Amino acid sequence: MTTTTVPHTRYSRLNINRIGLWLFILSESGIFIALLAVRFYLEGTSRPEALNQTLGLIITAILLLSSLTAYRAETAIAQGDQAGFLRNTLATLILGLVFLAGVGIEWSQAFREFPPQSGFGRVFFAMTGMHAFHVLTGLILFGLLYFNGRRGAYSAESHWGVEAIVKYWHFVDVVWVFFYPALYLLS
Amino acid sequence: MKPILKGILWAVIGFTGGAGLLTLVRLALGMSLWDLEPAISVGYIFGLTGWLLGVGVWDYWARAWFGLPLKKFEANGLSRYFSFNLDHKVIGLQYLAVFFFMLLTGGLFAMLMRLELMRPGREFMDPAVYNQIMSLHGIFMIAVAVAVIIGSFGNYIVPLMIGADDMAFPRLNALSFWLTPLVPLLLLSSLFFGGWDSGWTAYAPLSVTNRTGQLFYNLAFMTLGLSSIVGAVNFLTTVLTKRAPGLTWGRLPIFVWSIIATAILSLLATNFIFVVLLLATLERIAGMAFFNPAGGGNPILYQHLFWFYSHPAVYVMALPGLGVVLEVIAHFSRKPLFAYKWAVAGFLGITALSFTVWAHHMFTTGMPESRTAFMFTTELISIPTGFIFLSALGTIWQGRLRLNTPMLFGLAVIVNFLIGGITGIFLADVPTDIQLQDTFWVVAHFHYTIVSTQIFGLVAAIYYWLPKFTGRMYSERLGKIHFWWMFVTFNTTFLPMFWLGLNGMNRRVAQYPAPLGDVNMWVSLNAFLLGASFAFFVVLIALAWVRGPRAVSNPWAARTLEWQTASPPPHDNFPREPKVVGAPYDYGVPDSTHAIVPAADSGND
Amino acid sequence: MKRHLLYAGLLWIILTAIGEYAAFNAKFFTAGAAAEAVIVDDAFRLLMLLGTPVFTFVLAGLVYSVLAFRARSESIEDGPPIRSSRTVTWLWLVITSGLAIFIFFNPGVKGLNELNANPNADLVVQVQARKWAWKLTYPEYNVTIEDASELVLPVNRRVKFEITSADVIHAFWVPAFRMKIDAMPGQTNVLYITPNQLSASSQNDFNLRVQCAELCGTGHARMRAQVRVVEQSEFEAWLAGQ
Ligand code: HEA
Ligand code: HEA
Ligand code: CUA
Ligand SMILES: [Cu+2]
Repeated sequence: MTTTTVPHTRYSRLNINRIGLWLFILSESGIFIALLAVRFYLEGTSRPEALNQTLGLIITAILLLSSLTAYRAETAIAQGDQAGFLRNTLATLILGLVFLAGVGIEWSQAFREFPPQSGFGRVFFAMTGMHAFHVLTGLILFGLLYFNGRRGAYSAESHWGVEAIVKYWHFVDVVWVFFYPALYLLS
Repeated sequence: MKPILKGILWAVIGFTGGAGLLTLVRLALGMSLWDLEPAISVGYIFGLTGWLLGVGVWDYWARAWFGLPLKKFEANGLSRYFSFNLDHKVIGLQYLAVFFFMLLTGGLFAMLMRLELMRPGREFMDPAVYNQIMSLHGIFMIAVAVAVIIGSFGNYIVPLMIGADDMAFPRLNALSFWLTPLVPLLLLSSLFFGGWDSGWTAYAPLSVTNRTGQLFYNLAFMTLGLSSIVGAVNFLTTVLTKRAPGLTWGRLPIFVWSIIATAILSLLATNFIFVVLLLATLERIAGMAFFNPAGGGNPILYQHLFWFYSHPAVYVMALPGLGVVLEVIAHFSRKPLFAYKWAVAGFLGITALSFTVWAHHMFTTGMPESRTAFMFTTELISIPTGFIFLSALGTIWQGRLRLNTPMLFGLAVIVNFLIGGITGIFLADVPTDIQLQDTFWVVAHFHYTIVSTQIFGLVAAIYYWLPKFTGRMYSERLGKIHFWWMFVTFNTTFLPMFWLGLNGMNRRVAQYPAPLGDVNMWVSLNAFLLGASFAFFVVLIALAWVRGPRAVSNPWAARTLEWQTASPPPHDNFPREPKVVGAPYDYGVPDSTHAIVPAADSGND
Repeated sequence: MKRHLLYAGLLWIILTAIGEYAAFNAKFFTAGAAAEAVIVDDAFRLLMLLGTPVFTFVLAGLVYSVLAFRARSESIEDGPPIRSSRTVTWLWLVITSGLAIFIFFNPGVKGLNELNANPNADLVVQVQARKWAWKLTYPEYNVTIEDASELVLPVNRRVKFEITSADVIHAFWVPAFRMKIDAMPGQTNVLYITPNQLSASSQNDFNLRVQCAELCGTGHARMRAQVRVVEQSEFEAWLAGQ
């Protein structure tokens, strides 16, 4: 029997992975949407004066910057530039750690001003905590990237691991782009 | 067994490590050293990680991340089923085993409840114990209903149906399975910590102030949710990317569509239950009062978040079963599936609408007046659900119905789910819901919907695909006896519950007004007969599995792809890549074919 | 084909006739004891009347098909390749949508409006639920009853219940009044009820009871109080005795 044109339906491994990652990110955003909903449901748009605005702004800038270095790490490896890849991965790692340290400082102040048991405190800690948890996993993954990258595990042709983790990192960043105004700027 | 023992060992190490770490942190912060619930929670996170790594993630997966060679993967024969196996067919049966066990245990709890409810007074158990058993029954069954068909038949059949060699992410698939044994384990261990008594819905503030057992419910449900999400990503990616050439969307078997719809629901909704249980856990262990008004929280917020997941979840429970039913009905009517596009639209329409109706569970909470809106969306959802009935009716009309056991169960779902659906309308209309909420009317409604779609659907699926995964046939005569036994006793058990609801019997009570005793006695007796039908079923299937006559590879003369390969299928499913050239259900269409599966040795590529 | 349609239609009509007859005449609930109960009872009956033809339609189609179209021989034979029918599908869509929207308005919106219509009351009763008892307060009379074993109400007076909870969620439900609302901690919910049947003093109608209707822990099942509806004079005498 002759088969007429049969539409192509199969994807390459790389594209399969990409679709999986996007679906995962789509699902994960539910967590953050739910937390935003909790924030507005319980606390409306209120926000305490005691929030450290300067620090908030600084860590936001740092996180955004780390997205840039992550992006540069990905383009570097895509062009086979191992050194640039390692440099930018390391930079992302450090910026991420600084961000976490910033959150740590904020938390120690927040514990005094609006502890987790208080009205704003509970949403503040829940939101920043969940976000910081994602940053932390991202950093562990970047650590792994760096570790493997030094062994030359990635190349211009094959670097799905890098792509995935960088995409995830951008996602974590985008979440903060919504969380930051929701926590710091509204009133 | 070795991987499991290793998993347990690593889990214990992880748990101890996690709890120890927490103690160190508490020491550093100058807090009291020991607090049970935080220790369990943190320990569990590490224990869970240890379990997964130990059972196989480390050896067969994670080592690669550290540049280490993977362990070679060898298990064969029966021991495959006790190891981190990547074959979707093995995983499908693993799912079936775990959730069938949960079904029987949950059923056993139901039997205990019915024993207590035989008479109005306090009979065998303390009301507190009754509440715990009732809660366990609820959550066990919800877990079964959320996962059993999609987990077992979704895994086993979908890749075959779409002509793929496996799922898109075999290792993620194994991971999502190996999360599930923890669910019954956690739920049963809650009994050592006082159980929990807040029902499967676990409304706050009760659930943030009761005993430690509640924490195990939180952890178990979150674990199940994690597994659903991972599974949903996998199913969607598989169907999107691994269909055989020629398998366009319009040619997809309807069961695959039902799994797509289910996976979309799980993917988008599950994280909401994750968040609400996380917040409830934080409220328990860190005093962050999200839901208890005593600390400034809002109990209605809990319900909004809970139902934003749990309403879509009831369709997660219904759709795979309805997919099985349409599948079976088409093959056994020997006719094309009637109004295929409408059935697909039904599945997708339900999926979309089910995100808009959640607050119909909250009509009596005194939430800010929005009941009209939710009443409207809820009533709309019967329209896409109706398409599925349309498709089923249109298919059997003028067919050549072969009334084998799977078909009988398929038809039973139509009748029973119709009763469940129409009685849902009474709950959707606010004036009637005000009276019916929290009565046995609701209990009857949801047994008619869940048990019909998911459990009858499961039974139909087991009969239908048994020859596929065992290569053996069940006894048609015993199957028919089982059908009538289960169909009749199901109805005699649950139909009177509507009457009970109308006559003032509320849910979740161990003791009730004396005049309702007779009907409850009748219900209990029939429930025992219904329970016995499950025992009969288990025996029947076990007999067929080990001693049944050999089945031909396509005993139903069905056209879909899973029947076009050996039974049980070889490791890579098809000897060579199949090609799809037509619609799946074109029975009676002259010269039509759904797919061509080249034999192993037909020429070279 | 025509013949099949005719027979199946006939079966549908017969089943529907039986069903509607039952729906018209059956007593679904035990006797109502409040003016508002009528709204619920009517809504219920209307839904029964509308749901019956839907139910019998599917049932008739199914039963008739099983009887008339079952394969007679062992050999497998295919049916006619009917893929769909434009008329049937669109008719189905229009009818089911019409029905769904109809029941949204009636009894849905209509009943809800009737229930919300009259915010005036002759008497206020405050109800506070806690694990596992009811506290009743008649603020206009300065009467408070802890751990109430009965709720006493005057007949034919519109009562406004102000309901709240001291701990977890409970629900205030009197089956014979067909009225229910949650007792939410941190929030006061209101419910209007006009009892219109005197409760016979000799017997206890078990549906004339306040029943907690939201799971609240161990004592949930027994969190009940008998309701006693009496003449205004008797009510006042009772109040005076408290
Ligand atoms: C598989 C699970 C499942 C399914 C499919 C459904 C389907 C529906 N459910 Fe159900 N429901 C539950 C499981 C399910 N439910 C559970 C578990 C609970 C209790 C939770 C708890 O509190 O513990 C519950 C509770 C519940 C409530 C809350 C009751 C309360 O506590 O006050 C409501 C209220 O609206 C409701 C409504 C509906 C409706 C309108 C449908 C509709 O989808 C039904 C649609 C189907 C039909 C209508 C029949 C076929 C249609 C036609 C033939 C077309 C023509 C018909 C018309 C136009 C009417 N359900
Ligand atoms: C998939 C879902 C599912 C299924 C299949 C069932 C099955 C059954 N349910 Fe369940 N039920 C729920 C989901 C389900 N239920 C939910 C969600 C609730 C709400 C809980 C809540 O309010 O929070 C509920 C509540 C509920 C109540 C109300 C309790 C109350 O409000 O106080 C009752 C009362 O009769 C009941 C009865 C039954 C019966 C008799 C069966 C029968 O069909 C069971 C049949 C029996 C078996 C399946 C097993 C037979 C046992 C053996 C053969 C022994 C072998 C066993 C081993 C080897 C372990 N159920
Ligand atoms: Cu109070 Cu239930
Ligand atoms: Cu719902």
